[in-house]
Amino acid sequence: MDSHWLSLFDVTIDFSQSHLFFPRIVTTLLGILLVMILVTRYRRIVPAMRHAGRVVGGREGNFDRKRFFGTLVLVTLYFYLMGVLSDVFPNTGYSFLIMSVLFVFSLSLLYAERLSRRILLIITLNALIAPAIAWYVLAQLFRITLP
Amino acid sequence: MVPAVLLNIPGTPSSITTTFDGYPMAQRGEGERALKTGIVASIFGGLFSAAVLFFFAPVLADFAIKFSYVEKFLIILLALTVIASLCSNMLMGIFSGVLGIWLSLIGTYSITEGGNGEPRLMFDFMQYYLIDGFSLLPVLIGIFGLSTILLDAENGFADAPGKGRIKLKGGARFSFSIFKGQLVNLIRSSGIGTFVGMLPGVGGSAASVLAYSQEKNFSRDSSQMGKGAPQGIVASESSNNALTGGALVPLLSLGIPGDSTTAILIGAFTLQGIQVGPLFIGNNMDTWYLMIIALVAANVLMFGIMYFAIRHIAKVIEVPKYILYPLIVMMCVVGAYAINYGIMFDVWTLLIFGVFGYVAQKIGLEVVPLIIGFILGKSAEVYFVKSIESYGNLTIFFTKSPIAAFLWVLIAVSVAFAIYLRVRNRRREASSLVE
Repeated sequence: MDSHWLSLFDVTIDFSQSHLFFPRIVTTLLGILLVMILVTRYRRIVPAMRHAGRVVGGREGNFDRKRFFGTLVLVTLYFYLMGVLSDVFPNTGYSFLIMSVLFVFSLSLLYAERLSRRILLIITLNALIAPAIAWYVLAQLFRITLP
Repeated sequence: MVPAVLLNIPGTPSSITTTFDGYPMAQRGEGERALKTGIVASIFGGLFSAAVLFFFAPVLADFAIKFSYVEKFLIILLALTVIASLCSNMLMGIFSGVLGIWLSLIGTYSITEGGNGEPRLMFDFMQYYLIDGFSLLPVLIGIFGLSTILLDAENGFADAPGKGRIKLKGGARFSFSIFKGQLVNLIRSSGIGTFVGMLPGVGGSAASVLAYSQEKNFSRDSSQMGKGAPQGIVASESSNNALTGGALVPLLSLGIPGDSTTAILIGAFTLQGIQVGPLFIGNNMDTWYLMIIALVAANVLMFGIMYFAIRHIAKVIEVPKYILYPLIVMMCVVGAYAINYGIMFDVWTLLIFGVFGYVAQKIGLEVVPLIIGFILGKSAEVYFVKSIESYGNLTIFFTKSPIAAFLWVLIAVSVAFAIYLRVRNRRREASSLVE
């Protein structure tokens, strides 16, 4: 009787399909939880999405679109161009160095609240010196792989 | 710890729980206080684990080696269930944790872990990039680093204290009286850190999460945890520093590295021609004593340098954000790219999870359980599947050993305690509203 009862909990995993066993359990659990969230919160979801649309669209709130989307664009360009340039200078870190100088300068300009001659000088020196130090210490001294 | 407290970016996965209270403290001008609290807790944890290593290494190693896949899975289940108690909304917390596990399963079922090497949870065109899944470090840096920058950029840096700066000082000052009433927390967290460190492969983040959530569950007043309570930093830092001694136990007694650091150490021993295993201590008494002295000296040195110079070391945070943030992104690229010796996709992972982390916070997902789920997900799969493959019956998770039964009791107690605290807090809120 005991063994019959215990056999209800028997589970056999086919090795060729074992990679799907745990993910299926997790996906099912995730689906159930998602349905629970939608059922318990559906009244709040649609207004929240409308509000988010108004905020991003600049019709409500203090969403700094210039800095937010500027950051996204600059980071995407930084990563993309670094990858492209690393094919031109493979295994030297030059791609990292060149693109970092441009990226640090551009992002600093984007984030600076006001631009005086002094701040511009600091930003320029920082954009030139910091990536150069990082490149020299990491790529040259410690031989760390850089793009 | 320094970036965890001052930038909300954990320097290592095990510092993740330090950000929960360290960063809010730094935001209200108590950065130095948070850092010094962490430093003192760290030396306590480090010395505690060194003492445990020295006096109890053989006994504790005997205990840890008895853990099979079943107990290891239950340890992870315990860590994952207690993280629900960290969340303001339990349903969202559980969903986030499960989502983290799901994300960690993307890739192949690793052959080195006993899997069949088949890909899952992705389209064919993704296989070239995601054969090994998402790397942990870029995911962490993306969610904690880049998303923080995006959140600040969205606000135009308007809400940062001192307009673009986080203050190291200005709030309450550090005093050793912070540790009044924290002895139990220190000992429990250091004990958890040492114990988890002994379990091969469970990892440092599990230790700090477990210690943090146990402090949240068992302390008299946990209402401020996650909002800048020193007790959270004490739990996190004492446990993650206690790992160092704990991780050496299975290494020196069994030859099994407890974490990535000791895995490198095993390589160093091999280079020196020293065999690490059950005979190590007996055959290498000089090296054994030297290691203990070095471990203690490293902790004391860390304390001396960090405690007295933290004000100067942490000055980096007073750099304006328009200078600091571009440099952080640049260094994030270095970390992400170098972690797997030069894979550009890891850099894109940084951006993917940076945006994901930003959106997740906007739609109310809980980032911490998500990350913990991601860190522990793969191990949970291996231990769960291997347990079933070995025993063929689900009841084994309850009947495998007294340790398994004890872990279920801990899971049940932890969940029950979290529910009790939630109900108690609701009643208190309701009664304060009535008053």
